[in-house]
Amino acid sequence: MAIKLRNEYGPVLHMPTSKENLKEKVPQSASDSYGHKQYPANQGQEVEYLVTGTHPYPPGPGVALTADTKIQRMPSESAAQSLAVALPASQARADANRPVPTGGEYRHPGAPDRAQPAGAVVMEGGNAKNSALMAKKAPTMPKPQWHPPWKLYRVISGHLGWVRCIAVEPGNQWFVTGSADRTIKIWDLASGKLKLSLTGHISTVRGVIVSTRSPYLFSCGEDKQVKCWDLEYNKVIRHYHGHLSAVYGLDLHPTIDVLVTCSRDSTARIWDVRTKASVHTLSGHTNAVATVRCQAAEPQIITGSHDTTIRLWDLVAGKTRVTLTNHKKSVRAVVLHPRHYTFASGSPDNIKQWKFPDGSFIQNLSGHNAIINTLTVNSDGVLVSGADNGTMHLWDWRTGYNFQRVHAAVQPGSLDSESGIFACAFDQSESRLLTAEADKTIKVYKEDDTATEETHPVSWKPEIIKRKRF
Amino acid sequence: MALTSFLPAPTQLSQDQLEAEEKARSQRSRQTSLVSSRREPPPYGYRKGWIPRLLEDFGDGGAFPEIHVAQYPLDMGRKKKMSNALAIQVDAEGKIKYDAIARQGQSKDKVIYSKYTDLVPKEVMNADDPDLQRPDEEAIKEITEKTRVALEKSVSQKVAAAMPVRAADKLAPAQYIRYTPSQQGVAFNSGAKQRVIRMVEMQKDPMEPPRFKINKKIPRGPPSPPAPVMHSPSRKMTVKEQQEWKIPPCISNWKNAKGYTIPLDKRLAADGRGLQTVHINENFAKLAEALYIADRKAREAVEMRAQVERKMAQKEKEKHEEKLREMAQKARERRAGIKTHVEKEDGEARERDEIRHDRRKERQHDRNLSRAAPDKRSKLQRNENRDISEVIALGVPNPRTSNEVQYDQRLFNQSKGMDSGFGCGEDEIYNVYDQAWRGGKDMAQNIYRPSKNLDKDMYGDDLEARIKTNRYQGRPLSFNIYTSENKVVHSHFSSSLDLFPIRSFLVQTVDKEAEKDQFSLRRILSVWTNFWKKPSNTVALKDPQIAAVPRNMSMKAKREGRSRYFVQSERTVVDNPNDASHMGNTLYMARIKTKSGCQSPALLFITGEGGGYGKILL
Repeated sequence: MAIKLRNEYGPVLHMPTSKENLKEKVPQSASDSYGHKQYPANQGQEVEYLVTGTHPYPPGPGVALTADTKIQRMPSESAAQSLAVALPASQARADANRPVPTGGEYRHPGAPDRAQPAGAVVMEGGNAKNSALMAKKAPTMPKPQWHPPWKLYRVISGHLGWVRCIAVEPGNQWFVTGSADRTIKIWDLASGKLKLSLTGHISTVRGVIVSTRSPYLFSCGEDKQVKCWDLEYNKVIRHYHGHLSAVYGLDLHPTIDVLVTCSRDSTARIWDVRTKASVHTLSGHTNAVATVRCQAAEPQIITGSHDTTIRLWDLVAGKTRVTLTNHKKSVRAVVLHPRHYTFASGSPDNIKQWKFPDGSFIQNLSGHNAIINTLTVNSDGVLVSGADNGTMHLWDWRTGYNFQRVHAAVQPGSLDSESGIFACAFDQSESRLLTAEADKTIKVYKEDDTATEETHPVSWKPEIIKRKRF
Repeated sequence: MALTSFLPAPTQLSQDQLEAEEKARSQRSRQTSLVSSRREPPPYGYRKGWIPRLLEDFGDGGAFPEIHVAQYPLDMGRKKKMSNALAIQVDAEGKIKYDAIARQGQSKDKVIYSKYTDLVPKEVMNADDPDLQRPDEEAIKEITEKTRVALEKSVSQKVAAAMPVRAADKLAPAQYIRYTPSQQGVAFNSGAKQRVIRMVEMQKDPMEPPRFKINKKIPRGPPSPPAPVMHSPSRKMTVKEQQEWKIPPCISNWKNAKGYTIPLDKRLAADGRGLQTVHINENFAKLAEALYIADRKAREAVEMRAQVERKMAQKEKEKHEEKLREMAQKARERRAGIKTHVEKEDGEARERDEIRHDRRKERQHDRNLSRAAPDKRSKLQRNENRDISEVIALGVPNPRTSNEVQYDQRLFNQSKGMDSGFGCGEDEIYNVYDQAWRGGKDMAQNIYRPSKNLDKDMYGDDLEARIKTNRYQGRPLSFNIYTSENKVVHSHFSSSLDLFPIRSFLVQTVDKEAEKDQFSLRRILSVWTNFWKKPSNTVALKDPQIAAVPRNMSMKAKREGRSRYFVQSERTVVDNPNDASHMGNTLYMARIKTKSGCQSPALLFITGEGGGYGKILL
């Protein structure tokens, strides 16, 4: 019955939360099946960013996760407070929505009998039909890994237009951004000083990448051009000519000298870096291809498109291996996990994780209700999703737990509507997170050193069931 | 029919009859439970009007030749209808593989998700799950190598194809084939039993253009079948979402919704600019006040000072006058002989005083000058005393005026070309010729010159002089006025300027000639007055050629200098070759109706001569 209840609540719970709600930091419901609880008011935090994801009763840092330690014995002060804040609303809502008065069935999550599997509860209720359905083991949420929250550390302004793309050099000395002001700028990573401006594109620069195998920088733009810059001379040395419309993204193959670009002409093209020859034209998408990623293992090319599909390509044959149609809205971002054989794709409806090589579906990371422009992940398993409305969510990759939500203020002089994240990247040491924003700035985040698992506990309940979303 | 009725029933049943019997029996026994669904052709004799249509109508046999319709026994001869239905496939457990329809037309190695289980999230795996691990280095290296080779091949082909010329392909080594002909004998193969054939690949010209046209556009093949959609239908848009997506139209201050320009007053009224009261800082007023006061004070001060000065000047003047008066008094006294003690001063002292006075004045002048414009003064002074060589060395401009004629440089070098010649390349000015063709006087003399022999009688021998003299200046103008009665009236006018405004000519005529010939003059006068009074008369001409003179022309003449215009208008009409007085110049004619004397209309010819000599023929 509880499950049924929860399923019924689902749509209510996951209604898109407005900004005001976010700022109020009032937990919507204690029975939030995702644990995306807002921070209670007592959490110290800066004004410019917003850390969310507190759990009312975190397990102690040293306590091992067993059946009996799941129950919280000594709730921390903050947990108790947040519980107090959280409870009445949830109770009221539960009462209001309860179809049949079932005394004591809806217990608050701290109750000890919550530890037993949900199926058992249903069996008690005697609903045979339901029990058959629920007999299989209810999926539970494993404990997410704790990550320190990230806080805004530096804002670099210098571009005269939207900063559309960002890439960090393999040597970790500098990073490069491309902007709607038609320039590519190279910045010192440590100091944030401008080192160089490259001009040559005649429209917005939509993608930059620095080669690890050569001193080359590749850039693509809405002027249909793909350029190869020699960083020893800071000059364009090659053009890759062939796209029929704006080029939206590019990637380099890690082991072969091959460049892949994707374009609004609904194709992705594979270029031989040296000869400028177009090796393959990957056609099959029916709308603009927004993003492309490359890897050395099969499948070597992954594209996400505005036709809501993700395609995994066979690089040798230039043909589609798999078409993933699970997204409902355009896929603007794809990111590959640095260590695992998995990848994630971002779309306004969901972030989805997939497994290579066949693209079998793993899980949904829902909660970021905005147009997701960019995804990035570090080897620690922190997935960052940046959205068009300026919000940035940080997730634990494996469990899909959203441990932080950030909405940085726009730089002075900009409108509120000009907050938006177009691209983000971790630097090579993964201690800095760089975001390219619509307020013409580059924002640099770093991990909060003072944060510990006690100050920023994980809001995790083992019995939380993930609501299925297709 | 008849025969069977006559014959007795057979005692022995034939084979087919037996079969029929048996069948009938079995049918009868079966009829209780089931109805036979078997269709058979009707037996012979009952096939009239029967047409076999279905497959069963033929039984197992062939067509019925006696029925003249198209028949397809066993569907033979009928076009094969292709069905796109798929054969049912089952999996290992015997369940139907419904995803076959999604796989149709796709390659075997393609992964296609179509099941519900593909939608369901997986269990969250451990980080070190073997399923999650990337392929090891070796596998990746292998994949990379394979891919690299494949791509290299493709690239090299593409690059080679893009090259205009490529090196000739290397030929395969020659093959030797031993050949044994089937026809053996002395007559064949020049008696040889076997032959060895050397097979060589033909050399290909690397420069040869492509033999086949390959620039044809091939229509794209059908796209690969779409992948199954693996998500639930998108949720219905809520009202809130719809409202969120409603982007308000841009409202212009300048154009209304229909695109018409909003008038300025409406626009100003709409933006509420006039409604706000403008708050001006009171300091502006304060500043203005202060400025005003300061200005007034300054003016007062200036006025005061001026007054004081004026008073001082007045006093000075009075003093001076007093002095003068005193001096005059003294002079008077001296003249009168009254000696004063002042006289004893000697002339020398006065001279010295004068010199002193002069010096002082000079000094004062210098001082004044230096005070007025010290820098200018000093410079002037300096340069005044400089030697000329110094001036030259310093480069001080010497504004010495020379008597030489100075030419505009642009006038030179006109033979260079377009840029220099024709008004410095200006297109607007029509200077096709940079200078006149054989300019000067000789040309005009050679061309526009009446031949001497022809006009000698008219001009006399002094043609040259006539041409050279100024035409109208100071030369008396003479007219011979011929009446129709061959009376000649000479008229001379001192001023040639009055030739064309005939009005004045007339007046002068009246003045000068009054006493000369009363009759003719009065006549002329009357003619002219008449002419002015009734301009329409002059038009009413008998001569059709003259009558063709446009009326409006005369009307125009009436308005401004009418005689002149009128007369000119006649100029082309009259061209009398018989008239000896015609001398290549303009011949004017008018027809005048006179009141006095001459009843018939008279003709008036004014022959203007180049030398200011004219005749009027009446």
